Amino acid sequence: MRTSPNDPVDAVLAEGLKNLWYPICPSEFVGERPVSLRRLGRKFVFWRDQTTGKLHALEDHCPHRGAPLSMGIALGDRIACGYHGVQVRADGVVTSVPGSPGCKLEGAKATRSFHVTEAAGAIFLYNSSENVDTPPPLVLPEELTNDQEYSSFLCYTEWGGDYRYVIDNVMDPMHGTFLHKQSHSMAEGDATATFGVRETDTGFVFEKEGQRGVNFDWTEWADTGIHWMRLAIPYPKTGGPGGSFTIIGSYTPIVPNVAAVFHWRVRKLVPGWQRDTWRFLYRNRLEARHWAVLEQDRVVLELMEPDANQREILYQHDMGIVRLRRHVRKLAQAQLDEQEEKAA
Amino acid sequence: MKELYLDPHQARRRQPTPFEDLLGDSIERGYAAGIEDLAAMVAHLNRTGPNCPENEGIWTEQNFQEAMARLSA
Repeated sequence: MRTSPNDPVDAVLAEGLKNLWYPICPSEFVGERPVSLRRLGRKFVFWRDQTTGKLHALEDHCPHRGAPLSMGIALGDRIACGYHGVQVRADGVVTSVPGSPGCKLEGAKATRSFHVTEAAGAIFLYNSSENVDTPPPLVLPEELTNDQEYSSFLCYTEWGGDYRYVIDNVMDPMHGTFLHKQSHSMAEGDATATFGVRETDTGFVFEKEGQRGVNFDWTEWADTGIHWMRLAIPYPKTGGPGGSFTIIGSYTPIVPNVAAVFHWRVRKLVPGWQRDTWRFLYRNRLEARHWAVLEQDRVVLELMEPDANQREILYQHDMGIVRLRRHVRKLAQAQLDEQEEKAA
Repeated sequence: MKELYLDPHQARRRQPTPFEDLLGDSIERGYAAGIEDLAAMVAHLNRTGPNCPENEGIWTEQNFQEAMARLSA
């Protein structure tokens, strides 16, 4: 996606809105060795405390000379920079400067620190605009938190396209009827439809009028301190009991035109043989079928020219996209206004 | 930048065995035929295979549930 260089709102959105939770990577990507990941306009270092397993995140930048802390050595809740041994604690405070003990860098909160937590198989980071002592709680949809009623698998991929194109794609149910015509679950449904918007407490639902449970018929967008999307696609009868296949999506910019794409694939099944059987079938064969569908999306998205969003002629099916773009632009503008007020 | 992460099998920890593939086929056929309860699924497996790897090839509600719990863990 081409970001307009003279549009500050666009620039905010290119790196992701601040003061929101974002999924970063699957939990297993981070162990005791520091891991460096670019996300959200900066480079982070993640590591786990060897004794407690607690996850930590700092900006991957030593406050001394800017060497990547990820090249250093994790020491519990601290990391010792590999360049000059400067030790930075997980809260961003420099605890030791071995080359110059007692210098003013010691004791200074000199590195950006970030709150991280784990849920539903993923690491989430609070993308605060400045250091905060306590982040707001991470509020995920019930499909990812209610183990008694739902079961899910995380599918994580990295795509060569802007994360906003990924969001547009999910806010566009009609592509299911065309792009995914050849798939195990989306061969049904009319090729024309009228869409409507329904408000929810946390966002809105964009849905086909008079068609539900046939194809990819609706998308929900929600802001619960994290931006996530929800949709449901009917399973063919071979998928067994448990109703539609629900997908929860959340998307994080990596660098310009590369997106971290999180899809939790959910089934509403209480614990028991039906849930176990779905999980067996998922591993054995459904995952591959779902992957084939997701690949159809990736290929189109990656082949779109970066300036595709500058040359669009939208119609009624794109009402959800227009509405969501307008909404997030407002959020970005509000963050810019707040910054300006603080600076004044 | 390193290669983008694109792993089609994130839930699977190993290649499925031929037995697991046959079992998956059979369960899907059972579901396609409208089976939704445990007793009917077990009867379907005993009728169409694959045989249970234990209990002299006979599926029971108990050993089917145990197999599914194991294979889904």
